Amino acid sequence: MKLNRRNFLKTIGIGSLLVGLVGQLYTWIRSLFPNVSYESVRRVKLDEPDKIPDGVTFIDDIKAYIFREGKTFYAISAVCTHLGCTVKYVGLSKPKIVKIGGKEVEVKWEFHCPCHGSKFYGDGTNYAGPAPRPLDWVKVEISPEDGKLVLDLNKTVPQNYKLTV
Amino acid sequence: MAELEVKQKRLNGRGLFWTWSPRSEKEAGESIVRNLLLHWFPAKVTLKSLSWGYSLWLGTITAALFLILGITGVILMFLYVPSVERAYQSIKDIEYVVSFGWFIRAMHRNAAHLMVASAFLHMVRVFLTGAYKNGIGVGQNRPLNWIVGVVLLLITLLLSFTGYLLPWDQLAFWAITVGTNIAKSAPLVGEWIRFILLGGHEIEQNALIRFYVLHCFFLPSAVLILFSYHMWRIRKDGGLACVDNLVLSQKKEKVKDGIKSKTYSLLGLTTGRTVQVEATLLDEEKYTVNSVPFLIRRIGLVMLGTFIFVALISLFINAPLEEPANPNVTPNPAKAPWYFLWLQELVAITTIRIGGFVLNGAFIGGILIPGVLVLLLAIWPYFDKSSNLNTGVWFGKERIRQNIVFLVLCFFVILLIIIGTYMRGPNWEFYFPWEPWPEIPKKF
Repeated sequence: MKLNRRNFLKTIGIGSLLVGLVGQLYTWIRSLFPNVSYESVRRVKLDEPDKIPDGVTFIDDIKAYIFREGKTFYAISAVCTHLGCTVKYVGLSKPKIVKIGGKEVEVKWEFHCPCHGSKFYGDGTNYAGPAPRPLDWVKVEISPEDGKLVLDLNKTVPQNYKLTV
Repeated sequence: MAELEVKQKRLNGRGLFWTWSPRSEKEAGESIVRNLLLHWFPAKVTLKSLSWGYSLWLGTITAALFLILGITGVILMFLYVPSVERAYQSIKDIEYVVSFGWFIRAMHRNAAHLMVASAFLHMVRVFLTGAYKNGIGVGQNRPLNWIVGVVLLLITLLLSFTGYLLPWDQLAFWAITVGTNIAKSAPLVGEWIRFILLGGHEIEQNALIRFYVLHCFFLPSAVLILFSYHMWRIRKDGGLACVDNLVLSQKKEKVKDGIKSKTYSLLGLTTGRTVQVEATLLDEEKYTVNSVPFLIRRIGLVMLGTFIFVALISLFINAPLEEPANPNVTPNPAKAPWYFLWLQELVAITTIRIGGFVLNGAFIGGILIPGVLVLLLAIWPYFDKSSNLNTGVWFGKERIRQNIVFLVLCFFVILLIIIGTYMRGPNWEFYFPWEPWPEIPKKF
């Protein structure tokens, strides 16, 4: 095509209309990506440490089990690492000794997933079913304002992260 | 075809739907062109295409079910509120307060289940009859129509998936949890897809409204567009594949007799030859009848039968509603509807461990295996090198091996569905149907 004045103007004209169309397309798609999240909290404040019951408690708001052993606190996420169902805490009638990472550990409870049958030891280590990795541990901290216990899903912690107060 | 007696019925009488009444076959042909609804169909149709035994009419049944779903779906749209706070209550109202609400919802749900089944069986029929193969017509592209059909089957499954989570009950909530986590396990784009599907990271209002719009607008529109194309392609491909077979078998007889072939174009409109219009190739007198009334009558019959069947079973099989969605408690066992149970079974057993390296079953069983199956399905016509004598016949002689492989794959899917339905108990553990499930404590 020879670029004379007519063709030049035609190309510019139709081209700019098309660019306009692409721009609109972009706005349509971009609008579906939310900028603000009104979703429920990923950080929850509990009570003062000595008011947390000994043993295990399920925290609804962030789907996690918090454990207290005297002055030590730790929390394990209840979200299955396979496909995200909520795992169930299963207390064992008899503690059993298992090998986790080469060390012998006494296990008093387990977590079982109802969706696809994954099973985890008390420390979240997966041992049966399709789950590809251990349950996440949740950051436990003391709020600097009022000394209450805080669980925060936004921060990642290694397995066996425990807080002693 | 003894079951259809060809009667020369005079096509006269004006009605509300005919502005013009044909007096000859040529005019009857033109009448088809002049009628919007009828020009999906040919003027004449072979008796074989009309028979119950060749096509089993599964495509028509699927279309009738889609029609039921459209009608009941629009009614339900007036009654359902897509909000996290009110969705469950509005379904409860439909069940217990709205006049005949339970019946309409049951029809919608039963038709949905049947549509998945009939679309699948339609595909099985097309495969076993080699109906995705081109025959002898000019401009045929049946493999393309097969691909369109595969896409329609996938959309049907997506429609079911987006549909059953609208009630916002336990089934709904855990289905989206698992479904979107499967999407998340896709490499690279997974996280992104889940985010755009849910409109965030959690399953909340954004997710509900998105699935609602997909279910009520995008996916049905896609079905309508593809379905129209599916139907149009059948015409362009020269009708059902059994017509090609008929022509081929007749050709052999004719060659013996030494009759010259004469070609004319249908209604003077088409260029090139299509299978129906090669006059000497298909003995019209012997093998075909007018679409009006024979084809129309039978389609009407199948549609009515489907409507009545769905209405009848809906009197006895009602749509269930589980407890309201509770993100903290996963039901035990948590089972998907039967048509997804083979996938649930797959994701549960396909996590692969090689040394320290782990591949999540969500990816293998949820994306890789189904993806490969669908891809194989879609491209299969291009690998099928059997001769066109196997087009449009049940269990064609040259296609025995591929038919067996196909049936074995179908059988595995059905087997997984049966295992998932009847042999999986709490914690997805295996129980024989006669074994009782253990008592599961409600509280931990």
